[in-house]
Amino acid sequence: MPRWLKDNGLSIGFGLIFLASLVGQAISGHGSVNHDAALHSGDPISFWHYVTSAVFWTDVMENWQSEYLQFTLYILATVWLLQRGSNESKQMDKAGGESDEDQLLGEHAKRNSPLWAKAGGWRTSIYSNSLVLVMGTIWLLSWLAQSITGRINYNSTQLDHHASPVSWLTYITTSDFWNRTLQNWQSEFLAVGSMAILTVYLRQRGSPESKPVGAPHSATGTEG
Amino acid sequence: MRSVRVMFWVYLVLIFAGLAYAIALGLLEH
Repeated sequence: MPRWLKDNGLSIGFGLIFLASLVGQAISGHGSVNHDAALHSGDPISFWHYVTSAVFWTDVMENWQSEYLQFTLYILATVWLLQRGSNESKQMDKAGGESDEDQLLGEHAKRNSPLWAKAGGWRTSIYSNSLVLVMGTIWLLSWLAQSITGRINYNSTQLDHHASPVSWLTYITTSDFWNRTLQNWQSEFLAVGSMAILTVYLRQRGSPESKPVGAPHSATGTEG
Repeated sequence: MRSVRVMFWVYLVLIFAGLAYAIALGLLEH
């Protein structure tokens, strides 16, 4: 196996199944839309028309936003919230942002620490929160994209039924927007809660998402 | 580490390109 492939197994592996799923979503979504059109004696649309339509992109964006919200919240919540016995939690005395020594900041930085971890001031403050800043930005932008493209679909249905189109500000108060949003959030939060509590008593040999198989149930914040 | 840095930017660029496309599409169909 080439070195670059071994070094990037996770990002390449998940990137490939993401692309395969997205293509699958596009093909099945196109089929579904045309099936619906046939039932209503409407004209079928081309594949290209479908993948550049607000219908397709609303579906993509509403799933993106919930995943990025999940990880953003998880990264933030695990700074302060702990779970005794969980591999997903820090040790019980580590709640909060931790000391500069623990976080290898300023004078505690190592020779090969990132430059902005050594710099101090605003640069270290930004770098100390850079993961949440970027993940949170992706969440907010994908939620915004869901609302903008969702409104196009909503208004298209409104016009089909001789009802008035709505503004963006009105759309984000509709049951359509919140139903699409919350049906995704509930599943993400359940999955995160499950990971936090199931890793107390269950194991997967070899996975860093699990404690070592022989680790005691009471061990908190260890890696497999 | 060079290939890792490339993957980091591939992910970020593709994600933000997808977001920009979706937002632009929504605004232009307005």
